[in-house]
Amino acid sequence: MFDFLIHGFDVALSPLNLGLALLGALLGTLFGALPGIGPINGIAILMPLAYTLGLPAESALILLAAIYTGAEYGGRMSSILLNVPGDAGAVMTTLDGHPLAKKGLAGPALGLSAVSSFVGATIAIIGLTLFAPLLAEVAVMFGPAEFFALMVFAFASMSVMMGKDPVKTAIGAVLGVLIGTVGVDSSTGVLRYTFGLPELYDGIDFVVMIIGLFAISEILLMLEHANRKDGNDGLPPLGRVFISLKEVVTCKWTMGRSGLIGFIIGILPGTGASVGGAVAYTTEKRLSDKDNSFGTGNMRGLAAPEAANNASAVGSFVPMLTLGIPGSGTTAVLLGALMLYNITPGPMMFSERPEVAGGLIASLYIGNIVLLALNLPLAGVFARVLTIPRWVLVPGIAILAFVGVFQLHSNLAAIYLMLIIGIFGYLLRKLGFSLAPVILGYVLGGLMEQNLRRALSISGGDLGILWQSGISLGLWIAALALLVLPWLLPKLWQAKTSKA
Amino acid sequence: MKLAADRLLGIVLIGLAAFVAVQAIKLEVPFSYDPVGPRAFPLGLAILLAALASVLIVKPGTNEAWPGRQLGVKLLLVLVTLLVYALLFTKLGFIITSLLAVTSLSRIFGASWGKALLTGVLMAVISYFLFAHALGISLPSGYWVEPLL
Repeated sequence: MFDFLIHGFDVALSPLNLGLALLGALLGTLFGALPGIGPINGIAILMPLAYTLGLPAESALILLAAIYTGAEYGGRMSSILLNVPGDAGAVMTTLDGHPLAKKGLAGPALGLSAVSSFVGATIAIIGLTLFAPLLAEVAVMFGPAEFFALMVFAFASMSVMMGKDPVKTAIGAVLGVLIGTVGVDSSTGVLRYTFGLPELYDGIDFVVMIIGLFAISEILLMLEHANRKDGNDGLPPLGRVFISLKEVVTCKWTMGRSGLIGFIIGILPGTGASVGGAVAYTTEKRLSDKDNSFGTGNMRGLAAPEAANNASAVGSFVPMLTLGIPGSGTTAVLLGALMLYNITPGPMMFSERPEVAGGLIASLYIGNIVLLALNLPLAGVFARVLTIPRWVLVPGIAILAFVGVFQLHSNLAAIYLMLIIGIFGYLLRKLGFSLAPVILGYVLGGLMEQNLRRALSISGGDLGILWQSGISLGLWIAALALLVLPWLLPKLWQAKTSKA
Repeated sequence: MKLAADRLLGIVLIGLAAFVAVQAIKLEVPFSYDPVGPRAFPLGLAILLAALASVLIVKPGTNEAWPGRQLGVKLLLVLVTLLVYALLFTKLGFIITSLLAVTSLSRIFGASWGKALLTGVLMAVISYFLFAHALGISLPSGYWVEPLL
């Protein structure tokens, strides 16, 4: 049953892939540590690199996954040291991490967060190893109708869980799906929404889309923060980055619990590291905050979200690898990257492309150890990254974005499109949208339509096929429950209490 | 009553939904065995989008603060810089345009002229060697260089 893993270690331990895991871990931590750049921006900016190097699919995925997990590590730097979360997943880290740094315990805080991240990720990787092949075996039975229902469920779960405004999350996803419909319709050859522009016949390119949406909009958004307090004036003294065994032992159950919570939440589609971190933090507060010191620099309050957000980052690989449904915005980007290699992740991947699935999982084990080894001694170096001024950072991102898009297409139309998408992304963010649903919609929309049409051509146009099987009916009911319950439960609750 | 940004957005989105739907209906579909065809999916999306946008109009959410005049000018400057960078990218070549773009962006993001220029020169030259030589990416050298070669 674990043949894929043995095969995977063979792949991941090749010198090239080992080197890439190291490079990815290093680059990811650096990019994650850069102020304002979270994992998804880091991957968006660095992804063209993977193609430039002409890597085979499994190597590219190993590099990108290492960047992803590395960025989760790096993201905690600015949370702890500056009270500025690098991305949504690191918000909970600021609550106890920054007070610790203000007490002069920045070094131990960074050390503890590295160890917690390691423990959380390890729990989740073991979970992934055990759980993914099982889920893949179930998913082999999925036909197009089941996949369509599954995607409906994924979008429903995402609308409820991701972001603060469900309506906007749903609108973002619909806009993403619409962007995905541009171009030639694969089964009839009809051109949709191309407005006679030959550049659009192949659709809106994935790399152009993510670089525009994440890198360019980030540049525009950073302009606001440039006027605010900048990173370089308030870096607290780091002290020695160390971690005593005693602290680790005090937090061991916290890490274990939070890792498990993070992993389970990560598996659910649409609920990324931010939800995992928040749930773990509140759970831990309820369980172990005896003296009400959470929020004032409690070690457990730091260990919980750190273990959980790394665990959910790994957990979100489960649905991506087994079902082809990404669990988070970042895994959606990874999924898109795989599709560029003509690999559609799904249940068959464990049997047909074991080098990709196994290689990735094996490289997560390796990358995780590499990251711990890098982060304990080098935290001070990574913390320096925070002091890079924006007037160096922003032009750097701009160059990487231009070169990344240009080298793939060698034409200016792609660059103009990237800028337009960047403005679109900026407006969405200003209007209170989060971008993860947009990218999920864009990546999943095409698959969703294909599965819908395949299902209906099997049934000859009879819509009943969509909910005929037990699995798909269950998924429809679950999706409906997710959408209705959060709205219904408070009303029922109110009715009950007003009666009493 | 002040028109909330979300209400305006809702109206724009309904317009977009209508546009998407009209374009989908206008598609000329050749005969095929696919009972759904390329129209249905975008049409469904348009209906969903219109419904969601109506919710937004009835119950607008919260927005981030919009940039003031000063920030707006800077935002425009950044966009103009990026646009000019794109326009001249192949004509003047990577090194010259990157130098100009980096210097300009650096300046907009608060560097002094001297620092901005230094960043521009260093970043343009270093990234050219990194990309073109170390990674083997073909970058535009620019029309003006070719006669010199």
